[in-house]
Amino acid sequence: MNIREELGRQWFDQQGWKPFPFQVEAWHCLWNGESGLINAPTGSGKTYSLLIPILLDGLEKTDQRIKHSGPRAIWITPIRALAKEIEYSARRANEGLSLNWRIGVRSGDTSTKERTKQKDRPPDFLITTPESLHVLLSQKGYADFFAGLQTIVADEWHELIGSKRGVLMELALSRLKAINPSLKIWGISATIGNMEQSLQVLLGNYYERNPYRIIKAKLNKKVEIISVFPDEIEGLPWAGHLGIKLIDKVIPIIKQSKTTLLFTNTRSFAEIWYQKILDKAPELSGLMAMHHGSISKELRYWVEDQLHEGKLKAVVCTSSLDLGVDFRPVETVIQVGSPKGVARFLQRAGRSGHQPGAVSKIYFLPTNTLELTEAAALREALERNIVEDRIPYLRSFDVLIQYLITLSVSDGFVPALILAELKTTVSFASISDEEWEWVLAFITTGGDALTAYNEYRKVIVEDGVYKVDNKRIAMKHRLSIGTIVGDNLLYVKFVSGKYLGTIEEYFISRLNPGDIFWFAGRSLELVRIKEMDVHVRKSNRKSGKVPSWQGGRMPLSSQMSEMIRVKIDQSATHTENDEEMKFLRPLMDLQKDRSHLPRKNEFLIEYFHSSEGFHVLMYPFEGRFVHEGMAALVAYRIALIKPISFSIAMNDYGFELLSDQEIPIYEAIETDVLGIENLLKDIQASINSTEMARRKFRDIAAISGLIFKGLPGKKIKERHLQSSSQLFFNVFHEYESHNLLLLQAFEEVMDFQLEEARLRRALDRIAHQKIIITEPEMPTPFAFPIMVDRTREKLTSEKLEDRIRKMMISFE
Amino acid sequence: MEVKLLNEKVTLLPQKALWFKSRKILLVADLHFGKINHFRKSGIPVPAKANDKNTELLINLLNQTKPDRIIFLGDLFHSHYNEEWEVVGQIRKHFTFCSFELVLGNHDILSAVQYERHAMIVHPVELAIGNFILTHEPLTQVQEGRYNLSGHVHPGITLSGTGRQTLTLPCFYFGKQQGILPAFGSFTGLARISPKKEERIFVIAENKIIAYSHA
Repeated sequence: MNIREELGRQWFDQQGWKPFPFQVEAWHCLWNGESGLINAPTGSGKTYSLLIPILLDGLEKTDQRIKHSGPRAIWITPIRALAKEIEYSARRANEGLSLNWRIGVRSGDTSTKERTKQKDRPPDFLITTPESLHVLLSQKGYADFFAGLQTIVADEWHELIGSKRGVLMELALSRLKAINPSLKIWGISATIGNMEQSLQVLLGNYYERNPYRIIKAKLNKKVEIISVFPDEIEGLPWAGHLGIKLIDKVIPIIKQSKTTLLFTNTRSFAEIWYQKILDKAPELSGLMAMHHGSISKELRYWVEDQLHEGKLKAVVCTSSLDLGVDFRPVETVIQVGSPKGVARFLQRAGRSGHQPGAVSKIYFLPTNTLELTEAAALREALERNIVEDRIPYLRSFDVLIQYLITLSVSDGFVPALILAELKTTVSFASISDEEWEWVLAFITTGGDALTAYNEYRKVIVEDGVYKVDNKRIAMKHRLSIGTIVGDNLLYVKFVSGKYLGTIEEYFISRLNPGDIFWFAGRSLELVRIKEMDVHVRKSNRKSGKVPSWQGGRMPLSSQMSEMIRVKIDQSATHTENDEEMKFLRPLMDLQKDRSHLPRKNEFLIEYFHSSEGFHVLMYPFEGRFVHEGMAALVAYRIALIKPISFSIAMNDYGFELLSDQEIPIYEAIETDVLGIENLLKDIQASINSTEMARRKFRDIAAISGLIFKGLPGKKIKERHLQSSSQLFFNVFHEYESHNLLLLQAFEEVMDFQLEEARLRRALDRIAHQKIIITEPEMPTPFAFPIMVDRTREKLTSEKLEDRIRKMMISFE
Repeated sequence: MEVKLLNEKVTLLPQKALWFKSRKILLVADLHFGKINHFRKSGIPVPAKANDKNTELLINLLNQTKPDRIIFLGDLFHSHYNEEWEVVGQIRKHFTFCSFELVLGNHDILSAVQYERHAMIVHPVELAIGNFILTHEPLTQVQEGRYNLSGHVHPGITLSGTGRQTLTLPCFYFGKQQGILPAFGSFTGLARISPKKEERIFVIAENKIIAYSHA
């Protein structure tokens, strides 16, 4: 046992803990200079498996510290709430071990004053986010700043890898590795299906040539799912996502338990639930709080502190409390609505039952009848140990363009060096010379290398170094670093100046002064909007609008989808054994009465006419994303039979094609509309004729800097530069169809919606199923939730003029 | 498509222009020339080629109608001076038979010299043609017996039919005393309007104009 291990063990002793073998294994790996990944659930001591060896690393080489003024270790967290937790743990160990690391946090929450301080006297142990790391890369002299970096940890790596924030990490790591060839890279991840791949993405070229290790904490936590049932099945609606009807069942659960976390899937639902619980149980006032990502840092910290101290009875929250943080007093977790994935569900369940060996109990509160199926599916998935993959983003040229401008803004870059670094990442390993040339042209000449127009100003080339020399462009860029794209945000403040949080401009622009809205669990009256500030005062009125925040609609994972098919089959064969499925018996019987309940070897199609038009519904049970692609494919193929226009809707169970005219569904099935012949060609054609790529382009346009949101406080002046991603999509489509950002939008549709392999598998499965077409007289329980969905896709093979004429006639 | 305004026949062109045939006056609103260059100068890479479509459309329109006067209802040029202004100058130079006139819009911030250079007549606030009052922004009040024609709004209308069909298209709008032209520029957006019953809407469907009818 070396001196460092001894010190680590001693400190554990002082806390009254005993290190787990996986922790000690991690300590030694790190001290040996290895990289790796810790696979451990929340509450397992994963943080200390890396904190301890990092703090004790370099104990024998203290002289190194004086030479460099910059971080020696960086800890990346995906959410701000976690940063505070890590800071707390790091300080505790730092003091306990009598070390003198300077520990600091830098995130979107950090004040300008604190940032300046950090620049002059950087922390040795820096806790930050992927975005803030890139902001540091955009500052002059960053290479010196990072010169002393020895270790970097990507905490909750499973959260980052499936998003473009993962690409931000890959790019930053490729640069930091070049600055510090002996950099140690570590990840901490909950269990996901593609563990090995996720490590490969994190390590990049290290994966091939450096020693690394995956360390598993063999702690099996038991999870018990308890569904909350209404007294009878009529107590639940057929469609909907809020679930408030079951509030009377929730209040006793909260009252019986020491501390409860109630998770909703969106921030608006959190606001509504908070308000309704207080209405029903006013005695909880003062003992209940709310936590979501749009609430100010002060309020969030206050809630977290109160949680730690066990002073709260309940917290209504969103994914902002999903990760990492351990709140020991939490006994009970309630999940409102389907979490849509096994991994996310486990994550939330893990918020409770922190005592070793304790069972994590999670209440599942369905928001519509069929959702109960998902509780049964989750249980099945847990029994079978099935967890989802998190698919990494490949070739995200929008993130690459942002990164190259980041480097141009700071010290500039030399293309050959950066290209070599890019090739060490998984995301850009396949970049071709032509693509690289295009990207360089895009940032220097605005796309066309041979253009007669020379007014384009962004990146200039001086002695082979690419850089930005315009201060305005540099400032604009630093302000827009990141890949999380939302609507314009405004700051909600009391007239007195106290800051409450952020709200989307889209919502607030529909309100007038004097209107009441709910925010952060308070009833507020809008006083005025002044530039970026929304001034409010307290209101006593109970009724008010609830803000909507974009996003939050997750598709069912393919693993969950498969479990749902299992559960439906059990119902069809009367072999169900989950409580949920037994409860759903009357609904399943109704589905059978009105139409059919498909068995595993059957594929159900429903066709009927209503006042809205003609409906075709198909139920592949493959999850929303795949349905979006499959619906577009089927609509495209039917539209080849005759000129027809469709409005398309989908949910996790199936999709609907709605038309004003009869749909030749029988002919379509005869002509193999669900077949795999010409699949790739038809997929491409159906992407071209729908809005899917256009929608993907929204984020791409924002990330790559095409859409500029305006500078804080300077909104009006920038108006001449405002435009929509739609206009960009149109002009690129028309004049620059080889534009890589445009092509990326199509590639993302292919990768995530119309993944050829997955679609082919689904169609193969359908090909072996017996197709059953029913013509129900009334909408079925399966059909109803899809039909009422208002988010719709369009596809048409009719002439524009004919469509307009028909719409005109329907007015008369 | 011909419509009557104040008992005068005017022609609506699918190129998003209004043609007073009897007076040989052509009205066009919101061209936003130079917008693409303005974006490019600020480091936003809009394909420069998109400019050509706008100029081509304008040239064809002038060749087709051969007006005595072309009157721009504001937002002719998007922002500060850039090279695209010289392209506008080239067009102006070529059509010697026609007078180029501009009712200033909120985006028209070029200095007076620039308009003089290209021999353009500027009407700072409004211009009266008979009983027609031409402005950039729609007037809030119009005198009895007068009719206001303007731009600024970039009007578009959403049509809907059975089967949850919807379409949003640019349009001409004609109220009792007020008409709004669609935006001519291609790199511009649409603002959806909801017309009342007595108001007339003409939808631009690619190369055709179709009258929109209420019940």
